[in-house]
Amino acid sequence: MIAEQQARDPVDIVAAMAAGDSGPALNAFYEQYASMVLALLMKMLGSRAEAEEILQDVFVELWRRAPQYDSGRGSVVAWVITVARCRALDALRARSRRHGDRQSEYSEGDALVTEGGRPDVLVSSTRWHQALRQAFQRLSAEQRAVLELSYFQGMSHGQIADTLGLPVGTVKSRILAGMRSMRTMLPVIHRAMKA
Amino acid sequence: MSEEKERAELLAALYAAGAASEEDERELAALLEADPGLKQVVQDFEDSIAALASSFEPLETSPKTLGKIKKQIAQEKGGVVARLRAWFSKD
Repeated sequence: MIAEQQARDPVDIVAAMAAGDSGPALNAFYEQYASMVLALLMKMLGSRAEAEEILQDVFVELWRRAPQYDSGRGSVVAWVITVARCRALDALRARSRRHGDRQSEYSEGDALVTEGGRPDVLVSSTRWHQALRQAFQRLSAEQRAVLELSYFQGMSHGQIADTLGLPVGTVKSRILAGMRSMRTMLPVIHRAMKA
Repeated sequence: MSEEKERAELLAALYAAGAASEEDERELAALLEADPGLKQVVQDFEDSIAALASSFEPLETSPKTLGKIKKQIAQEKGGVVARLRAWFSKD
């Protein structure tokens, strides 16, 4: 029982992967994060086939990088998200090179939507996701829009300003306001992540 | 809040959001050396944005994907073992 509980701790799972366990540890890791990562990749890439392909790359990379994971520098989920985001941005850049510049037709109304379902196959939403979504409702549409373009589309503040037709200073202050707002939610976020 | 603190927090926010320019990143790195407390601000912002990124409705993955991942890892493991064997067998 104790061993089973320990195996569920994300830091222990990563440590086991770092030691070369590509069996039970990788299974547990995949089970815990794959559906979340796939949702993020779908959000960023908009293509199920491409998202599934990148998902594979992300997990191979996470397994490869497991020995370098340092729990003192951040949570496992933040590490997973960072690697997944980098891979998705690489794919977006490659796509952009193939098809020319993609962005331009963006409006603040397109800002990231964290509530509600999608036509894709959903797995059951956890208390974690429900709590996070509630927390992020506190961001204004303007704040969500700039965070969407920076974090999920990989744009610099200058590119965001061009896309939204705003002064660079306004973009920067919206990013800061959004980040400050989310930082005040951290206790709620941490509780949700532990739930 | 002082102008310097405000600037440092702005740079931390831009960095965590992925919107910082190279110049912003250099300026933030210099400020981090001078003010170790700023590291916590950066980490809080990074945790916040990661939580936002993990809040989308989870999607069921293809049953085949884990198998493909394991296959690729097994090939890599094989590759490492093969390289080590080759290295140890050198004269």
